[in-house]
Amino acid sequence: MNLDLGGPGAGCSAMRVRRLLAGELSGVEKERTEAHVEGCERCAAVRKAIATERDALRRNVPFPEFAAAVAEKLAHRSQRSFATRWAPLAAAAAVALIAGTLLVRRPVETETVRSKGAASAQLFVQDGKGVHELAAGEPLADGARLLLSLQPSGRKRAAVVLVEPGEASVIYQGPAVNGTLPEAFVWTGRGVATLLVVLSDSAVDATAIRSAADAPRGSDVLTVTLRR
Amino acid sequence: MGGRAGDVAAPGAPMSAGLLAELYETHAAAVYGRCRYLLKDEAEAKDALQDVFVKVLQALPEFRAAASASTWVLRIATHHCLNLLRARKALWREQLRAAQADRRQETEGPDRRELVRVLLAAAPEEAQEVAVLYFVDELTQAEIALEVGRSLPTVRKRLREFLACAREALGVELEGADL
Repeated sequence: MNLDLGGPGAGCSAMRVRRLLAGELSGVEKERTEAHVEGCERCAAVRKAIATERDALRRNVPFPEFAAAVAEKLAHRSQRSFATRWAPLAAAAAVALIAGTLLVRRPVETETVRSKGAASAQLFVQDGKGVHELAAGEPLADGARLLLSLQPSGRKRAAVVLVEPGEASVIYQGPAVNGTLPEAFVWTGRGVATLLVVLSDSAVDATAIRSAADAPRGSDVLTVTLRR
Repeated sequence: MGGRAGDVAAPGAPMSAGLLAELYETHAAAVYGRCRYLLKDEAEAKDALQDVFVKVLQALPEFRAAASASTWVLRIATHHCLNLLRARKALWREQLRAAQADRRQETEGPDRRELVRVLLAAAPEEAQEVAVLYFVDELTQAEIALEVGRSLPTVRKRLREFLACAREALGVELEGADL
């Protein structure tokens, strides 16, 4: 017996119908999709399913409940990871030295996902003694501001995550800027923490990264050890 | 439950109730649907819905830069739910065994989406998201390749892996096995 698990059809795609209803299509693609959906039973079923999803959301998770729950979770995370332990700060220093970083390249999975070369990063420290490069093994002073500078070497996206025992905090996620990140930060923890810098050609979900092994295949991962 | 919509704020990026309301109107139903579909548990789906939007709010630059916000948000939701399912692998495997038993007794065709869901448990991690993008979201292989930043042959390989695992799990031939 043969089973059909589905998949995209000729001109049919559940996601395209979603995008049409969300106002994400324009121009010829919008016109073509509208014309197709009009007379397509399969797409009509998708529209019905989307309407059912919407009804279920409004019935089971009305906006005030949703907003309050999201606000509570955000506040909890902020309190745990940022408000007391991390404080985003204005960019601290324009001058800095090279930090001791270790480059680990994730294995390249296919020939079409190529490494772009030697990506690197520098961690700058601003403390009572001024601005300097973080030296290997150097303990951080209380209140020291940290500013990361990237040399992405052609990589397009970057994620920076601070990993401590039992928790990880997203420091940055966005374009792989060539130079310093928009904000400096302060680490107020004790012991040892690892700053993971992931440079990739595709989008990186920083919230999913807890170790170098979580980085997308083919990406560059740099690690910087922080001590206090 | 503490907090108000007007208080919503991600680290380093102040939020407004207006933004959250807009996200709710445009994307929450799809995310909730995806969480209910994958998790099959109302309480877990509601919790996952909230977690997904916390992630979205903490990654607004990525969200705004995405070629398709709908696809991007649903990928976050899928990834989140698959992680939860992996954490309760035993239950997921049990559902797969139940589906296998049903296959031996059924005379009518099963619900395709439900079958895909339980078959995900049999597939390797790398193939699971690609299978959801193909069989549930109905993206073409080329669209998936663009979305996940992999080559077309890699996407095809992942789908083949999923189908091979599904075929082995159910002991039947599957359409699309010629990928």
